[in-house]
Amino acid sequence: MSRRLERLVAYFLLVIIAIVGFAPFVYLLLLSGKRRIEILAEVPPDLDFDWDVVARNYREVIEAQGMLGFALNSVLVVGIATLVSLIIAVPAAYAFSRLRFRGADTWASTILSFRFMPPVAVAIPIFLMIRTIGLSDSYPGLILPYVAFTLPLIVWIMIGFLDEIPREIDDAALVDGCGRIEVLWRVLLPLARPGIIVAAIFGAIFIWNEFLVALYVVNSRDLQTVTLGAATLVSAQRPIDWNIAATVGIVTVVPIFVFSLFIQRYIVRGITAGAVR
Amino acid sequence: MERAGRWRGHRFLPSRDVALLLGPCVLYLTAFSLFPLLYSLRISFTDLGAADSSGDWVGLANYADLLADQFFWNAAVNTAVMVSAAVSIQVVLGTALALFFNLHLRGSWLVRGVLILPMLLTPIVVGVMWRALLNPDWGIVNWALETVGIDSPNWLGSTEWAIRTVVLVDVWQWTPFVFLIVFARLQALPRDIFEAAEVDGAGRRGMLSHITIPLLLPAITFAAIFRAIDAFRSFDLVYGLSYGGPARSTTTLSFLAFQNGFQFQNYGYAAATSYVMVIALILATTLLLRRVRVRRADAL
Repeated sequence: MSRRLERLVAYFLLVIIAIVGFAPFVYLLLLSGKRRIEILAEVPPDLDFDWDVVARNYREVIEAQGMLGFALNSVLVVGIATLVSLIIAVPAAYAFSRLRFRGADTWASTILSFRFMPPVAVAIPIFLMIRTIGLSDSYPGLILPYVAFTLPLIVWIMIGFLDEIPREIDDAALVDGCGRIEVLWRVLLPLARPGIIVAAIFGAIFIWNEFLVALYVVNSRDLQTVTLGAATLVSAQRPIDWNIAATVGIVTVVPIFVFSLFIQRYIVRGITAGAVR
Repeated sequence: MERAGRWRGHRFLPSRDVALLLGPCVLYLTAFSLFPLLYSLRISFTDLGAADSSGDWVGLANYADLLADQFFWNAAVNTAVMVSAAVSIQVVLGTALALFFNLHLRGSWLVRGVLILPMLLTPIVVGVMWRALLNPDWGIVNWALETVGIDSPNWLGSTEWAIRTVVLVDVWQWTPFVFLIVFARLQALPRDIFEAAEVDGAGRRGMLSHITIPLLLPAITFAAIFRAIDAFRSFDLVYGLSYGGPARSTTTLSFLAFQNGFQFQNYGYAAATSYVMVIALILATTLLLRRVRVRRADAL
């Protein structure tokens, strides 16, 4: 009897946890379907929606305020930066996982410690550098620092995954006369695909969310990324239209939400691999 | 010893391979991470501002000003309060969640999926979301509290509560991180330890305090240090949630450096502010990586 009661309490707790975790998103979704005046009048918001209003809010945000354009900018910057970062980081992770050389641990720690660099400490110098080489207010001006920001993270995650692949596999390929780089390219990369996906996801999410450097580098509205665009629409300094702000929030959250459903097992893998290593 | 054994029989590799594999990464980080970091140190010794692009060498003047600046100390205290409060709550809640999810209730995988979501969000959006939830006039949290007869505090409007609210939101967003790490460790613990303890007649409470928690401690410590570093350097949440106010009550060191640099365009002073953070972080990171290396050696 008491066991059954315990079970009941446990399920009740589970529901509470789910609500605390998820209700904020639902609330934002509700607000995004209201008129400005309805948000003030309906507390809590009722479930009676005028679909014209919903359509108007989303059209306002996606088209008029340009969130679609911001999203495309972000996709471009995230895609290129993540790819470049992988190309540079995977060989480095491979060297740390497989090769033995003097100072390997020191090199690894130094590279990984950049993962903890405070963004405010490098934002100004990066902005000045980018300006000096004439790339301010351009995609390359964002991509160059973003690659550097994600490298340590990707190296870290990839070392973990490569360590799990048995060394005997490399040895067999080396005996067959492959060079080190060939072993990496032909043998390990296919085996490490889940790791590469995890690393790419984490790098991509980090870049998608990056804000401070974008704030410095990008001036023109056309080039703004999603985070920057969202921030200028909803920044905390000035009064805002809450229906529009909520819609901006939903439009920014939904891609990440959909993405996370597909890749849930990889995400858990990535957080624990990236962290517990 | 163990490690040396594993390596026996491997060829020692020519350093050409190392250079080829590692070189691009090292060069890139040197150019776009290390150089900016050193550049920032240099700027911190000048009075560089956006107006004049040269900036005169002022030695340690920025740092001296900083130590005399009440706003700097205010931000340092805010940061310390925020980081310590947020991380300790996250550690307790995250560990409790991990133990709870270890019951493997039906449907808990779905809730676990939900809990991952906050971590992936842009802090800017998290800020907007919570400003809506906590809105004093029509926010649903106040409505819910009033329904059950609780007077809601002035979440983001009072100097007393604003920093608590920032902590609350940070806890909402990042408790899942501690949870996932501790949970992963919990799943990896060998079952037979618990079975043996049960045979020996250990009660559930005894098992928890004498076996489970000590075994989880490395993972908990790791998650705590990791979170502390990230909370310390975080900037976007304050930007999105409270913009440092009211009356600077939520201005953290990151936010102060941002304001000095971006808003007031006083680059030299901003660089000095952020360099105090860099030094603190170098100390913390050294501590963390010492732990990681121990773990890596264990794993090998």
